[in-house]
Amino acid sequence: MNIKNLIKKQEIQLLIFVLIFSTMITIISPAFLTLENLFDLLRGSSGVAILAIGIFLVLLSGGIDVSSTTIAIAGQYIAINVMMAMGVNNIWFAFAISISVGISLGAINAIFISILNLPTLIVTLGTSSLFHGALLEFVGTRSINSGNLPRAIKEFGKYKILVLERANGSEYGLSVFFLIMVLVVILTWLILRYTMIGRGIYAIGGNQDAAERVGFKVKKIKLFVYCYAGFLAGIMGVMHVALIRSANPQYLVGSELSIIAAVVLGGTRISGGVGTISGTMIGVILITVLEKNLVLLGLSSYWQKFFVGLIIVMGVIITYGDLSRKKRDENSSAKAIEPSSQVNSASQVNKGDVL
Amino acid sequence: MSLARNQSLALLALLVIIATTLSIALPSKFLTVINLQSMASQFPEFGLLALAMVLAMITGGIDLSIVAIANLCGVVAAYILSKSIGMEIAPSIAIFAAIIAVLIVSVICGLINGALIAKMNVPPILATLGTQGLFLGLAIVITGGHSISTFPEEFSFVGNANVAGIPVPFMIFTAAAIVVGVILQRSRQGFDMTLIGANFTVSKYSGIDNTRTIIKTYVIVAILAGIASLIMISRANSMRPGYGEAYLLSTILVAVLGGTDPDGGFGNLWGVILGIFILQLTQSGLNILSISPFFTKFIWGAALLSMLVVNFYLPKIVEHRKLERARFRENNRDIAGPE
Amino acid sequence: MSEPFFHVENISKSFVGVKALDAVDLSIAEGEIHCLIGENGSGKSTLIKVIGGIHKPDTGSVFIDGKCIDGMSPIEAIRAGIQIIYQDLSVFPNLTVAENISINQSLESGQQVVNWRAIRETAKKALADIGEEIALDELVGNLPMAKKQIIAISRAVTQNAKLIIMDEATSSLTNEEVKHLFSIILKLQEKGVSTLFVSHKFGEVFEISENITIFRDGKMVGSYPTTELDSQRLSAIMTGREVTFDRYIYKDKNVDEVPLLSVRNLSKRKQFSNISFELHRGEILGIVGLMGSGRTEIATSLFGLNKADSGQILVKGMPVEINNPQEAIANGIALLPEDRAGQGLYEDQTISDNIVVTILKSLLAKSGLIDTAKRKNTAEDWAARLNIKTPTVEAAVKSLSGGNQQRVVLAKWLATEPDVFILDGPTIGIDIGSKHTIHTIIRELAEKGMGIIMISDEIQEILDNCNRILLIHEGRIVQEINDTAKIDAEDLFKLVSERGSFEAA
Repeated sequence: MNIKNLIKKQEIQLLIFVLIFSTMITIISPAFLTLENLFDLLRGSSGVAILAIGIFLVLLSGGIDVSSTTIAIAGQYIAINVMMAMGVNNIWFAFAISISVGISLGAINAIFISILNLPTLIVTLGTSSLFHGALLEFVGTRSINSGNLPRAIKEFGKYKILVLERANGSEYGLSVFFLIMVLVVILTWLILRYTMIGRGIYAIGGNQDAAERVGFKVKKIKLFVYCYAGFLAGIMGVMHVALIRSANPQYLVGSELSIIAAVVLGGTRISGGVGTISGTMIGVILITVLEKNLVLLGLSSYWQKFFVGLIIVMGVIITYGDLSRKKRDENSSAKAIEPSSQVNSASQVNKGDVL
Repeated sequence: MSLARNQSLALLALLVIIATTLSIALPSKFLTVINLQSMASQFPEFGLLALAMVLAMITGGIDLSIVAIANLCGVVAAYILSKSIGMEIAPSIAIFAAIIAVLIVSVICGLINGALIAKMNVPPILATLGTQGLFLGLAIVITGGHSISTFPEEFSFVGNANVAGIPVPFMIFTAAAIVVGVILQRSRQGFDMTLIGANFTVSKYSGIDNTRTIIKTYVIVAILAGIASLIMISRANSMRPGYGEAYLLSTILVAVLGGTDPDGGFGNLWGVILGIFILQLTQSGLNILSISPFFTKFIWGAALLSMLVVNFYLPKIVEHRKLERARFRENNRDIAGPE
Repeated sequence: MSEPFFHVENISKSFVGVKALDAVDLSIAEGEIHCLIGENGSGKSTLIKVIGGIHKPDTGSVFIDGKCIDGMSPIEAIRAGIQIIYQDLSVFPNLTVAENISINQSLESGQQVVNWRAIRETAKKALADIGEEIALDELVGNLPMAKKQIIAISRAVTQNAKLIIMDEATSSLTNEEVKHLFSIILKLQEKGVSTLFVSHKFGEVFEISENITIFRDGKMVGSYPTTELDSQRLSAIMTGREVTFDRYIYKDKNVDEVPLLSVRNLSKRKQFSNISFELHRGEILGIVGLMGSGRTEIATSLFGLNKADSGQILVKGMPVEINNPQEAIANGIALLPEDRAGQGLYEDQTISDNIVVTILKSLLAKSGLIDTAKRKNTAEDWAARLNIKTPTVEAAVKSLSGGNQQRVVLAKWLATEPDVFILDGPTIGIDIGSKHTIHTIIRELAEKGMGIIMISDEIQEILDNCNRILLIHEGRIVQEINDTAKIDAEDLFKLVSERGSFEAA
């Protein structure tokens, strides 16, 4: 058994868990398994999924990022404020501003992390405090509610790429959010699988010294990772305001740990180098389904945090508890007589998996 | 050693500068007994959590669940205290029961964290990320999301009273800091904790009981969080789950600011205590000057980042040079054995 | 000889006042297998880094094919045909074999887009070039060390390396694997690739190299055809003095008394089986065997880190259970582990902490707190007893030389006053001068009545210091040599390396 198979197994376990949970919900509350509900779920979780992909990339490179939610809200709030101040009513403009803010703040993270080589957790803790403090102090604290939001934002929130009709004639459909998420997934997958930067991210996470020696430009790759995470946070920021139709600079911040949890549940190693986008997506789906639908199981919403915590604890026990036991066995027998069991598993492995 | 001392001196200097500036700038507001007392009763709940975080970080771990533990303990204590009024139980008994309950709950929480980390080898950051949700979730379930209030009047002693002019929370914090200091400097537990943080495998090979030491560490961490919860609910005279969530990141910040190595093996209790004082002082000072808390947040981020640069970057350059020098006498020595 | 294909001239390099390399020359012909040997700290690694473009030399030049390639960057060095295989091999455990092999090639091509077919083809070709077969899609993390080495070599081959430098390439390989590695090096030689083999293992050096260059204290002190040297002469040149080894003589052959340690039928699945032996007061018992023979596993098992499935351990005649190191220590057993940096010492912590870690319990005052004065005195006392050269015991261990570091490990275990001291590779990574003093300390301990078990790769070390030797093969004791005076290094070397030749014995 090797790491890659373990991950595949974990992804499948997670998927089975999601399916069982969904089946339970469907049995108790048939309303769950409707296309409409599924569309809602996708619309609601697309933004989080995009943010999670950014965090996934950072974890893959061997770091951790707790500033992504702050960056997202900063991008969003600044974009909305600029739009309102300039009287621009254009969704592309919103994205442009938000993404620029995201990339800039990501670059600041990268300066500390890649150039000064400082520990990522502490740096992003610091920058999130810095960014959020600056946002609240210099940009504002006022919540901008639906009535005052630029119309383009609200329209974007309602925009559907697939429209269906209910029995009573009213319409519902698949939000454009889903399309954005799919595009982000494809883009990230292409980067990881088919660019040298992407392979560099895996290489750095696997063995940073070696990556440097074989000639990867480690600093440049890390710069890319944190800027890309900032870029995704910028996208997510606009989606978030369009989703909840309110811009409040205090929102989102504080949920970063649960997004990290989703990524980790999806099988991404906190030590770097190992993880897949598909796992990340399943992790996000699991957390969202759990958070949104416990009520349908007859549990009060107060149980939500508890259950999510429980799932995370169980998830990390399965991943790390398992691996460490294996590792211990390996350590004690590593130098032992027959290494035969280690070979010959090649047939089960898929090469350089990203998805 | 000398690095820790230099750091403490730098922090002390910073503390003195801030205190002097505030005293001169706001003589009538800052340097008053009332203000000093109010500061001394404000910081201990946070200070206790920061001490807890330092202990976890010295072993090379981290505990993201401390605020959640404080919440769960607080909810349990609040529940007992508020029920006691209706049931007409003597306040002394109720308070005693609440303290015992806090102790039990915190020890259980600590054992869970410790077992996940030491027995099942889950990385501390992930283990406590999960239990954070678990503990806080439980607190929410118990209260149904509402806050619990009205406790026996006597209980407000813990958070609000002064004895001989000194606020009780301050005394509790001082006592806890002394205990933590003794643990770190003079006890076997502290010695073992530090060495486990320095190198887990070497500790195993040196006959240190890693599992036990780590479990004990997370239990002590949880107990400190439990004590913090008593001060919290007493000061607020109520408990609402989710209270103090912003403390979490600040405790890490203060720990690092005070010179704790996030990789473990090095901690500087004096540095951390000075860090806590500085935090309180600037907060109060900025408060009196009516500077927004947001600006404070900004300042804190900036302070942490600059401290990081100074703490990690500069010594590493110096050390790197020293190490390089040593390497020539000893070029291959780290190629000691097979992996 | 014609113009050498590769040579360095007059290279000097100083680091903050310390001269690491002092006007060093080295030349290698095309297809030559050249060995660079020297004690630790003699400047071997620095030279490699200069050649690889990681360090810039203060003076001197590097020539390849008559072309001066001074001041190049690591990537330029690679382009010039120089490939360095570092001891850690620089492989990526999370990537596949194919990608690991082709990664330099992919980076070198300058293309930003990954061509997976090319990656597989490059890898397949590189493996074929050296006549190896490894599943291309396997993750490297799942492979044994020897295969990782082959991957590192294949990677070098993809770059059309003209000179491959192997830094301590054999330290994690079993003898069998070393032989295989040598066959690959010879294959490379046929293709005209030169190899610079950096090592400190005499046996290997004599086996593989055509020429040997010797470094001492940053200077080149000699360069000879291998045939002109023997190990005595080589060691004399390396150390600058004639080291004469005298054998350890086990004086009080008092075998009637209860042995300090009796091991009976100790077995652990897949590691070792039916291990039985006794250790008496004053004995130095050598355990030799190939890496992977189970010798280290036996040692860790006696120390409670690797509990055996069955069998019995008796300490001074009393059966004991050893479930963890704490119980081993309580029973008077100490273990100096194989990997000093990873298992033996806290490099960043003070000498004092490193010494007292094993005996902290005895430093607690009645209050249960550490008696700081006693702790300081104990640490200083041990540092003095073992002659650890440091201004203060509060200095970090990493400030010490390798020999002094090993003394700290000895001190930390001697402080527990063990009856049985297991030394797994007591002089790994220690220069010859310090080796001698470590050996002297070990002998003195035995003479004072301690029972010592010494595990080592170095046949000479075992032979000089042990009065009795157990030969381990595939987890079993296959031979016991009761009188080491009757055997010489060559015989013992043969016994160890020729697996299974005496199964009948």
